[in-house]
Amino acid sequence: MGADLVTVSVDSIEVHLAWQRHEVGLKNVKYSMGSDQSGAVSQMFGVYDDEAGKCLRGSFIISPEGKLLSSEMNYGDVGRNIDELMRKFKAYLHVSKHPVKACPSKWKDEGDATLEPGAKLVGKVFKEDGTY
Amino acid sequence: MCCDCENNEDLISLALGDEVPDFTIKTYEPTKGDFGEFTLAKTMEAKRWTILFFYPGDFTFV
Repeated sequence: MGADLVTVSVDSIEVHLAWQRHEVGLKNVKYSMGSDQSGAVSQMFGVYDDEAGKCLRGSFIISPEGKLLSSEMNYGDVGRNIDELMRKFKAYLHVSKHPVKACPSKWKDEGDATLEPGAKLVGKVFKEDGTY
Repeated sequence: MCCDCENNEDLISLALGDEVPDFTIKTYEPTKGDFGEFTLAKTMEAKRWTILFFYPGDFTFV
């Protein structure tokens, strides 16, 4: 879909290799597994937990122009919904191709209802965003 | 904005809409079974998007 997915933790690349080869659920992994042992990149994105010396659970979407468009961070042991991350990515891709369109919360994929912000939409979002 | 994260004590993390400073990290590439590198500038050159997914540690859940 035109994106490079990189997972990042403070583990070494050797440990990434060992984990990927031994954990059955990671058998078909296609993404790059990044190692940020110094924590520098994690700090830049505000997801470095100094006390634990580890990354928090954080997801970021960066445009091809290098702009940070989306961030999600969870403290503690609550996992993320990958479907929501992919939905947001697809929505940003859609909006980037159709600059006047906006993707509302219920937008899931190409063909779903989009919004055109403007005077005509005021007070009528509920009719247009797929809620009713 | 943070330009030299390794030497900057007063780290300011990125805000939405910011240009992300270039960075490179070492990677393990499961599709090649080999080690590699990810550099933001190279992905931008290829006009590709980047999705970063930070997690606390290997052998845990995401």
